[in-house]
Amino acid sequence: MSDRILGGIGLLVAAFYIWQSTLVELSFITDPVGPKTFPIMIGIVLALASLAMIFSPDANPHWPQAAKLLEIGISAAVMVAYVYLLPAAGFVIATALAAAFLSWRLGAEPLRGVIAGVAISVGIYVVFHLILGLSLAKGPLGF
Amino acid sequence: MKKILAQAAAAAVVVMAFSAPSFAFEPEATECIAPANPGGGWDFTCRQVGKTLQDLKLVPGTMQVTNMAGGGGGVAYAAVVNKRNDSNDLIVAASSATSTRLAQGAFPGNTMDQVRWVASVGADYGIIAVAKDSPINTLPELMEKLKADPASAPIAGGSAVGGWDHLKVLMAAKKAGIDDVRTVKYVAFDGGGEAVTQLLAGSVAAFTGDASEAKGFVDSGDIKVIAVLAPERLEGDFASFPTAKEQGIDVIGANWRGFYAPGGMSDDAYNYWVDAIGKVYDSAEWKETMAANGLAPLDKRGADFQAFVQESVSDIQAISKEIGILK
Amino acid sequence: MDTLANLGDGFLIALTWQNLALALLGCFLGTIIGALPGLGPSNGVAILIPLAFTLGLPATSALILLTSVYYGAMYGGRISSILLGIPGDEPAMMTTLDGYPMARNGQAGEALALSGIASFVGAFVATWGLVFLAPQLVNVALLFGPAEYFALYFLAFATLGGVASRNQGKAAFAAALGLGIAMIGVDGQTGVPRLTFGEVHLYDGIDFLIAIVGLFALSEVFVFLEHRGDNDGASEGKMQLGRVTPPASMLKETSGSMGRGTIIGFIAGVLPGAGASLGSFLAYAFEKRLNDKKGTFGKGDPRGVAAPEAGNNAAAGGALVPMLALGVPGSGTTAVLLAMLMALNITPGPLLFTQQPDVVWGLIAALFIGNVMLLVLNLPMVSIFVRVLLIPTKYLMPTVAMISFVGIYGISGSTFDLIVMILFGLLGWVLRKYDVPLVPVIMGVLLGNAMEVNLRRAITISDGDWSVLVGSPLAIGLWALGIAGFVLPIIVGRYFRPVPQVNDEVAEGD
Repeated sequence: MSDRILGGIGLLVAAFYIWQSTLVELSFITDPVGPKTFPIMIGIVLALASLAMIFSPDANPHWPQAAKLLEIGISAAVMVAYVYLLPAAGFVIATALAAAFLSWRLGAEPLRGVIAGVAISVGIYVVFHLILGLSLAKGPLGF
Repeated sequence: MKKILAQAAAAAVVVMAFSAPSFAFEPEATECIAPANPGGGWDFTCRQVGKTLQDLKLVPGTMQVTNMAGGGGGVAYAAVVNKRNDSNDLIVAASSATSTRLAQGAFPGNTMDQVRWVASVGADYGIIAVAKDSPINTLPELMEKLKADPASAPIAGGSAVGGWDHLKVLMAAKKAGIDDVRTVKYVAFDGGGEAVTQLLAGSVAAFTGDASEAKGFVDSGDIKVIAVLAPERLEGDFASFPTAKEQGIDVIGANWRGFYAPGGMSDDAYNYWVDAIGKVYDSAEWKETMAANGLAPLDKRGADFQAFVQESVSDIQAISKEIGILK
Repeated sequence: MDTLANLGDGFLIALTWQNLALALLGCFLGTIIGALPGLGPSNGVAILIPLAFTLGLPATSALILLTSVYYGAMYGGRISSILLGIPGDEPAMMTTLDGYPMARNGQAGEALALSGIASFVGAFVATWGLVFLAPQLVNVALLFGPAEYFALYFLAFATLGGVASRNQGKAAFAAALGLGIAMIGVDGQTGVPRLTFGEVHLYDGIDFLIAIVGLFALSEVFVFLEHRGDNDGASEGKMQLGRVTPPASMLKETSGSMGRGTIIGFIAGVLPGAGASLGSFLAYAFEKRLNDKKGTFGKGDPRGVAAPEAGNNAAAGGALVPMLALGVPGSGTTAVLLAMLMALNITPGPLLFTQQPDVVWGLIAALFIGNVMLLVLNLPMVSIFVRVLLIPTKYLMPTVAMISFVGIYGISGSTFDLIVMILFGLLGWVLRKYDVPLVPVIMGVLLGNAMEVNLRRAITISDGDWSVLVGSPLAIGLWALGIAGFVLPIIVGRYFRPVPQVNDEVAEGD
């Protein structure tokens, strides 16, 4: 059943994709194939593959309970928050917070999670910024 | 360790600046934004100029190069205008591609007067070439062929349709009296090298690109340059090739490289940067870099450069409208 | 014999203490950069260019440093592929398919050592190919016009069905998804934005690095979050590292795979439009079609590690042919090396070998040195690398996640890219649940644009005549190989072969 749902979603995505492809504005000059043909072909392949899933579905995967789904959702949200915190708080602080959270959620005790977060953050800062010279987000404190 | 030393040195310079206010502006942590991923032309401009600034001790420590890719330079342009407008320590690499996109409105909501144009560091003139065994020998011959049957001579270049390599051919076609330049068949490749390779493989009839892209193949005699799009003949290896102007088709295509700075930069800082980039341009070291990379002289600074970019933007706007890219 | 004399001169140039030290430094940094998800050979070389400048190195020394980084990164990419199932860089993607299962079966050490040896064989043979065949190989590259490249990409996608999944529909679904993502951005042919919804960040398209890190690395974090508590501590204590040298029987068994992988990878490397990822992919696909009689591929078959690793390292050597002789970079990395060459006042082109033999032969000698050094450096380090597996998941996975973010942010400086990466992470988790293979998605993202533009270039040049796609013997050959070798067996096989059982699939997908 799960495969059929994915196939259904795939069909919708394919339809949306083909529709969007037909909306691509042509420029003043264009080649014989044009910018629409290939995306439309891809959309058709996507639709066919989705149909294949609908007609010969595999057995259902084991879906986690709602609590686990929430856990994944929250973690993704924390990652998004981390991304926006990066330029504001600077790399080291933001990364320490995010790494501590993930470490905690993956089973570390809170205190050890915080220690791990700080260690990960500083370690990455040393390797990537001080050794490799990559420019990481600079916060108000300069790191 | 190096970094720490550099930072210490930077701090020392800052302290000195307070004690000896002989300069109106002292750079601190200088930064150059390359509006593309590492490895491209803009990245190269930042790194080369940054290195020369450093070697000439014009900036404290190292100049940090930040890559900000996206939108063909549009992401960096918008970021500078919106977020970094007051930064005095920042310059951004730019080239003809930047002015082409500004002219064609490809940076939505941004115009060229939102930033301050600092200086150019050289230019790469356009060329049109054919394979060594091609029956075509001059630019007018190629144009005649295009006039007779545009489909018979596909032309390869390293930029997208409507991009700089394409515009150069269209401008030449226009000057040669081809009314509907849209019939000229242009095939876009990823960069000049790939386009030249397809010329050698015989897939296309001609190549449009920059002099530097074709240098290796000109040296080896694999391709024939039928026109250089410069006001006068180039020096060195390209001296034997005629300009388009000599052949009665008056087109100039210069792919310049240079920098812009945030619009809110103070006059003192702006003057400092114009002066610093100017010193780089004048240095013997930069002359070598230019020679190595096939860059021809183009020395525009400060207000001069501002006017130059302004003119280039309106030129491209005019031709784009004529061709029909812009409404 | 001239060639050997030249090579001898090259060694004289390269073999100074300073250059050897630089090669060692480059190999070491390259291995680390390659192993870190998000940082691959092209970023690695680009990041280290300023270092070469700062040290004020002469041309040959700078090249030695950077090519060592290049080869080192190609070696290093396999480490995280095998240990974590996360490709350290895109060519190492295929190594996850059998390398990670080997590690899970307690053969992490063997897999690492074997892949190190396969890497060495691939790179070593490819460097000899560069020495003796470079001028002739240039002509091979010139055989490939747009139509032939299109046929080559077709061949790659035709092989997908047999490689990544037992469910062909899902492999096709994944490939179409990847291709669809590749279409996003400004169309390189006509300059019109496609599927960007007016978002300027999407104009340049979605970088495959973002896709690969999101799909593989972040989704792994989500998988671990999902399974926390299922078997707490059970697996951590008894993780076996395996031997740190592969048994002779394994080497003997895989020698054919290494040889075939090397040849396929090298040819793919020589073609500017193909590159290392395609090289390792085709090497794996052919190996599987040829040898997977018992269905062991994808479950930890050593041959599935040896072939793609030999392939991607051979391709790295092959890619230097068009870069040096034509000035055409076949990959992101060679593009950066090319920029570096130009910065050093060296103009690649047909005359490079005759005009600046000291640079070319010094470089080739450096490749040999780097290669031997990497093998020597890597085999003893296997026992250090495998210790990564001893780090508890609760500390390892946050580190992997944060390195993924840094790798992407440090290169592009874009928060938008990071958000897209998180979305890819969630997508990857969902696709894994459904047992939809991830490799075809990446293949689609990697090759989609090249496939499309070559189709369009071919049709533009032929003035709208589609028959040009089968217009040369080479193109026809590639089409025939794709159809006869991969598409037909799938269709025919349905009716003649018993369908492999799918019962174990559910458990394995998790």
